[in-house]
Amino acid sequence: MEKASKEVLQLTASKLMFDMTDEEYDRLVKEFEVLIKQMNIIGEIKGVDDAEPMTFPFDVTNSCLREDVCSTSIKKEEALKNAKDVKEGQIRLPRVLK
Amino acid sequence: MGYMHLGLLDIHEALIKNKVTPLELVLEAIELAKKGTNNCFEYICEKEAIEKAKKLDDSKKDNILYGIPIVVKDNYSTKDIPTTASSNILKDYVPIFSSEVVNRLEEAGAIIIGKTTMDELGMGGSGSAGHLGTTYNPWDKTKTHRIGGSSCGSASAIASGIVPLAIGSDTGDSVRKPASYGASVGLKPTWGRISRFGLFPFAASLDHVGYFTRSVYDSAAILNVLAGRDEKDYSSSFKPVEDYTKKLNEPVAGKRIAVIKEIVDAINDQDILATFKNNLEQLRQRGVVIDFVSIDYKLLKAIYPTYIIVSSAEATSNNANLDGVKFGLREPGKTYEEILKNTRTKGFSKLIKRRFIIGGYSLLKENREELFVRAQKCRRLIVDAFNSVLDKFDAIYCPATPTVAPLISSNLEAFIGDYSIADDYMAFANMGGLPSITLPLGFKDGLPFGGNLTAKAFDESNLFNLAQAIEDSTGLKDLVAKEDE
Repeated sequence: MEKASKEVLQLTASKLMFDMTDEEYDRLVKEFEVLIKQMNIIGEIKGVDDAEPMTFPFDVTNSCLREDVCSTSIKKEEALKNAKDVKEGQIRLPRVLK
Repeated sequence: MGYMHLGLLDIHEALIKNKVTPLELVLEAIELAKKGTNNCFEYICEKEAIEKAKKLDDSKKDNILYGIPIVVKDNYSTKDIPTTASSNILKDYVPIFSSEVVNRLEEAGAIIIGKTTMDELGMGGSGSAGHLGTTYNPWDKTKTHRIGGSSCGSASAIASGIVPLAIGSDTGDSVRKPASYGASVGLKPTWGRISRFGLFPFAASLDHVGYFTRSVYDSAAILNVLAGRDEKDYSSSFKPVEDYTKKLNEPVAGKRIAVIKEIVDAINDQDILATFKNNLEQLRQRGVVIDFVSIDYKLLKAIYPTYIIVSSAEATSNNANLDGVKFGLREPGKTYEEILKNTRTKGFSKLIKRRFIIGGYSLLKENREELFVRAQKCRRLIVDAFNSVLDKFDAIYCPATPTVAPLISSNLEAFIGDYSIADDYMAFANMGGLPSITLPLGFKDGLPFGGNLTAKAFDESNLFNLAQAIEDSTGLKDLVAKEDE
């Protein structure tokens, strides 16, 4: 397991697209010492590594098939109503493509 | 005299008999909400609620929710009403659609009078981690004890007599723990029983819709309104919906309840233990078979870290859409990446960032197997252990919390070296998707504490039947701590 050093936590925050202050990282490094101990409790459970990972409480059977029935989505005016910046009937966002 | 301190059924009867109108009820609730000093509200929907009350279609008059003022936790989308999940990153966000829960409530005639405070984005259990600060426990006039979270505003609003129904959400125990501290009935039904469409996801495999009422009957009646398939939610169940009030008063003789020995043994408060054991005796007198059963202590100890890892890891992806581009707060930046980073740095609180880093760290390539996948494996063992108890019993029953509401000065968000298995065990019901209800059990020094009952998946009728027997034996229902008392 990667040690929870300040550099690793900084890298983790960077991947998550935010930053923290030096003081916050220092505090978190100390807290991770406690957290890792708590996380290690899981490793002490007998048979844990043989268990099947549980991703949801139980299986859900679903179907994406439906009758081909026409329906309406929201009107343009409604879609734009609460947007902060509307120009020429469209929501204006920051450029995301270079 | 007022009506907002009553249970749903009593208010409904007053409406049917024309003793009061929906508009009068809404005005009463809004006045109470505005006068309240417990910091329950993100937004009071005064104008919207009055307008709805005036236009209410009385063909729905037979519905128990017709004309009833309610509050909704601020992580449910409400069309044209600000929805922030008590986070700065959703500042000024006004959805253009409502969650399915809100649609069903409004379809039944309920009137939302406010959006309630919460721990930011549902993460945290202190009731102090939202952007408006601490929400207070109305049972404590000194404002030194917590109501708990994350559904703090909803728990406080129902406990202080503002409304008879408050919607919350429950990922670890976020309805059922504050219900214990606030003397209300807090339910989270089976995973998939109520649609989560429009509920901001925190950890999708653990998130449940939940709510607070003042009696078991009210809780069952509200499930009748909210339960049922919704094609907009992939996890919504196709299982038929029952009339959950139908079996409430059936005899409980012969039913079997398991008490988890290790959880009870971990409780040090002798008053809570004595009250709980007295209640077990009352249930035995009704013919309920009660056995103390054991679950491996290490497995119980692993509930908390398993929950923290799984929920924090899921939270990192569930909240990736909060990017400062599409909605909510937007901080300036020269590039898309800069906007994203600056917005998330400023918009999330320290606590949220900490949780995200725990999740992100667990998901690092080097740690994933040892932390995240292992936690998922441990989750299976925890759920299997509780389900094997439920194979032999109708329900599991334990005190909901080992103490009354803790002091606000206690730092619940700090990661502590040791913790009691009785503090956070209720997350097993989220891991297994099991229906679980907390209801009042007693008071200590004026502060309430509750018991928690959990049943098999989709066995809500049985759960309510046993909960009704507990409520009948304690006589504790319709409890309200009015602000002026």
